[in-house]
Amino acid sequence: MICEICNQNPATIHIQEIINGQKKVLHICADCASKKSTENPLLQGFNVAEMLYNLSGQFGAGDVQPSQQEPSEIELICPGCGWHSEDLKRTGKLGCQQCYTTFKEVLEKALKTMHHGTLHVGKSPASMGGDDTDSKKVAELMSLQKELEDLVQREEYEKAAIVRDKINLLKQELKK
Amino acid sequence: MNSDINLLLNNKVSWLADCGPSEDIAISSRIRLARNLEGVPFPPHATPAQLNEIINTVEMAVQRNKELEPFLKFKIGETSDLDKMVMFERRLISREFMEKSDPGELLVTADESFGIMVNEEDHLRMQFMRSGFQLKNVWQEINRIDDILSNQLPYVFNKDLGFLTSCPTNVGTGIRASVMLHLPGLVLSNQINAVIQGVSKLGLVVRGIFGEGTQNLGNLYQVSNQSTLGESEEQIIERLGNVITQIINHEKNARRNLLETNQPFLLNHVGRAYGTLRHAYILSSAEALDSLSALRLGVDMGMFSSVDIHTVNELFIIINPAHLQKYAGKELDSSERDIYRAVLVRERLKASDRGK
Repeated sequence: MICEICNQNPATIHIQEIINGQKKVLHICADCASKKSTENPLLQGFNVAEMLYNLSGQFGAGDVQPSQQEPSEIELICPGCGWHSEDLKRTGKLGCQQCYTTFKEVLEKALKTMHHGTLHVGKSPASMGGDDTDSKKVAELMSLQKELEDLVQREEYEKAAIVRDKINLLKQELKK
Repeated sequence: MNSDINLLLNNKVSWLADCGPSEDIAISSRIRLARNLEGVPFPPHATPAQLNEIINTVEMAVQRNKELEPFLKFKIGETSDLDKMVMFERRLISREFMEKSDPGELLVTADESFGIMVNEEDHLRMQFMRSGFQLKNVWQEINRIDDILSNQLPYVFNKDLGFLTSCPTNVGTGIRASVMLHLPGLVLSNQINAVIQGVSKLGLVVRGIFGEGTQNLGNLYQVSNQSTLGESEEQIIERLGNVITQIINHEKNARRNLLETNQPFLLNHVGRAYGTLRHAYILSSAEALDSLSALRLGVDMGMFSSVDIHTVNELFIIINPAHLQKYAGKELDSSERDIYRAVLVRERLKASDRGK
């Protein structure tokens, strides 16, 4: 693909702009991109999906630093939710908490460029540590509700009744 | 059942109405936290049944908690497009949230200072807003609420990566702290691009408030952190706060400089804007925002003792399309809105004059 501005260099940077509600995609080279970002300092939204897979398409924080690295094309599917590496590439987003393990390697690289560090140093949930907190009960409640749904779908009503009683019990405990 | 939207419309929005520090330049401070719950895929990949389950769980958690204020509830699927626009214009929901078709809900306190979007991109997107420049105070408030909720809700948390989020740009603290700044001095003196570039180099983001992309009406800018991992919440807020203090000083210098070196230009700019707002019968959104920005500058600089700054701040919100139609009590097309916008602005400014 050739740069749409100078029509000479290969386009390594792909910019999505939304102007007056209309989406425009621009394929341009690094030179034109840096010109464009000087003219237009508000233009600094970066496409995470590209950043993840095509590090040459990366430009964060207003300046452009293209690298020649080839995208790593490994096909992965998250066992937790079925999220596919294609989905990640397309949306720049993850499907569920387990995706962070599934796509660990791809993410590690991207996180480095996105953030100031790669380790969390902020707060942890206030509930951590205790065994008998409400949030643990709510988690249990949610997994029971899921189980109930599955059982009803499979028409295993006897088991479902037991799970339903457990749910009611938990709900009562939580209401206290 | 949804709460009554008029409860919001009748509000003197607290993050606009209360007095905050540095509020002539910093209009408001906002912090949002992204949180997800264990065992359910992130909203974009969850089933409607799972999303409803999340809504019920969050509702239950906030209702059971006596320490939290009561919430108004708006199920996004049961809210009209116009009402959703009203919430968007009041900065309570995002554009993405407004347009979604899957189950989602806005929970918001009656004074609008705290809200939770349930099932936006993450299961919970909570935000706290205050007027003026007071990020530390806002952090204290939202941190307290987050602690209360985390006792009730099983947050997805990983000791290395912190709070896990749908988009890896938010992982870790899940925090986005931002301050809305009014920077007409830097715009009039052509320094704004240099400032934006400088700020960007520090890894912070500057955005226009009205209109994405290049357009920036009303000289309103939002400065926020980009990185959410590798620093604590306090460090992120500190770094952002330092930069904002500098921007505010630049803006003050630019204003002083304009007054000293080019007073007729400044007076003319402000005076014409006031004339337009007081006497126009057709007022487009763009012209209104630009004129309001100039009037606000004039008020800040003591040129209009009769105009109350909060009237001006409020006008920035109520001249938007959905609010206009709510005040008019009927649907208005674009040209009808321009006429009604002029009516509303004239009335408000006249009332503000009489009030003194």
